[in-house]
Amino acid sequence: MAVCIQTVELTKRFGSTVAVDRLNLEVHAGEVLGLLGPNGAGKSTTIGMLSGLISPTSGSISMFGKDFRRNSLEILSRMGVLCERPAFYGHLTVRENLIILARLARREVTVDRTLNTFGLVHVANKKARTLSMGMRQRLGLAQALLLEPELLILDEPANGLDPEATQEVLTLLRQLADEAFVTIVFSSHMLHEVEGLCDRVAIVNNGRLLACERTGALLSYDESRAEVLLDGAEAAAKRLLGQPWVISAEARSGRLDVVLTEPNIHQLNAFLLGKGYRVTGITPRRRTLQDYFLKVLNS
Amino acid sequence: MMGRIWTAYRVELSKAARSRCAWLLPLLVVAAVCLTPVVQPLARDGAADYGFIAYATRVALNIIGLIVLLAFSASTISSELASGTIRTTLLRPVQRHEFVAAKLMLVFTCAAIIAGVAALAVWILAASLGDLTGVSYGGEALYSNLAMLRAYLLGMVLAVFPLSAAGAYGVMISSLTRSPGAAVGVTVGLWLALDIAKYPLRIAPFLFSSWVETPWTVFVRRADGLDPAWLPDAATVVLVSVAWTVAFALVAAYATSRRNFQA
Repeated sequence: MAVCIQTVELTKRFGSTVAVDRLNLEVHAGEVLGLLGPNGAGKSTTIGMLSGLISPTSGSISMFGKDFRRNSLEILSRMGVLCERPAFYGHLTVRENLIILARLARREVTVDRTLNTFGLVHVANKKARTLSMGMRQRLGLAQALLLEPELLILDEPANGLDPEATQEVLTLLRQLADEAFVTIVFSSHMLHEVEGLCDRVAIVNNGRLLACERTGALLSYDESRAEVLLDGAEAAAKRLLGQPWVISAEARSGRLDVVLTEPNIHQLNAFLLGKGYRVTGITPRRRTLQDYFLKVLNS
Repeated sequence: MMGRIWTAYRVELSKAARSRCAWLLPLLVVAAVCLTPVVQPLARDGAADYGFIAYATRVALNIIGLIVLLAFSASTISSELASGTIRTTLLRPVQRHEFVAAKLMLVFTCAAIIAGVAALAVWILAASLGDLTGVSYGGEALYSNLAMLRAYLLGMVLAVFPLSAAGAYGVMISSLTRSPGAAVGVTVGLWLALDIAKYPLRIAPFLFSSWVETPWTVFVRRADGLDPAWLPDAATVVLVSVAWTVAFALVAAYATSRRNFQA
């Protein structure tokens, strides 16, 4: 798969503060990469550098196989960016805000289709300064996607959106990646958003890239942890705690949370059946991005 | 590059056309012109009414027009920095110096509009309420009304140069601060401070602000029955104004290109 974005030793210092420290990152074409990290980790600075709003102190960025600094105009015409707090010309209408952006890019586009996609038709002729936060976020997304970019860089795309709109946006972004082969890099604090959308996650902290993994591998089932539905959970927990292959067993409202020394749910099932318990279900616990995120940060 | 600057300029024009503040500029100038007869009434006497034109033009253009232009230009980039809309523009295929060039072109357009509106308003007022029949001395016609109008129009064209330099000065200050209020305050305040200090410091000939009145010299002297020459003063106005405009534009472009914008 072709590399869409490559950063090499990308560094940004603000005075004595190192916001991004020798970041080496590769994003492949058509891939969705989630940039995760706590507040002040360097996510927004990284996104600022990738979108040309912040000049790197050192290191390089190449996009579509071209050096960003030397080919910024061509690269910018192929990408769309959503900033953390999207800004608009408040005295212009929603439609006019989109039209002037299309004009700046010297492209003929159908603004109505974008307005429709983002549910902005009913506010198209309203001044941008009168929009609610959710509508502003939709307009920001509409601006980013207006010119049908090959690369999307999004800083907190679901910020201010209600759950329904968040789901719509995430579905749209996934569709863009799957059907139009759009490469997407986005940062978010909402780990469940990232979980559902990203092919890979990169975790940054203190400006450094701590980990970069495929989401599918991280979100597999953990067969050393299970939730068991059975009758007599309290008694079963006591029996399990006596077994050397059980770390913990806790009964909670008719179900049993068990942590095993090794991923062996069959052994657990056989043990419970052997002791005469009526097991109605055993579910291995699914690993979450939050588990991985906290593990990486704590390590 | 020129195509992109032209496109960005057209976008700036359309944004300004939708802004109430931009329309306030020529309205204030016209209001200043309309109020001038209260201070200096029209005499309905050929030479004196040309004197009124010179006076009203200087009030409208060199005081009110200049201040509103300074305020407008000082808010061009600073307001975009404050609201964050500059990011929206710079995320499109427009280079930063092209963005600054478009802002400068917008300010030059405003300077030309202010000069044109002021000149038109003053001449219409004087023609309707005064007696513009040319300048004569002792019964001898020295300058016809058409000759005076030509000198006035040439003066107006020349006046655009120092006004544009003033606009470029405002854009430069605007590129250095994120607060439109601070930018306007610094632009006007520094202008006034320099205007007071330029003579004691003996820097007046080098400042374009000293040449703001010069474009009207020929017209004023003709109204007095004299026969002044355009050169070398007209050339000096153009040269000093263009030199400062270029210097201000370079500083504004440099400051904008060095700035980081938080995503």
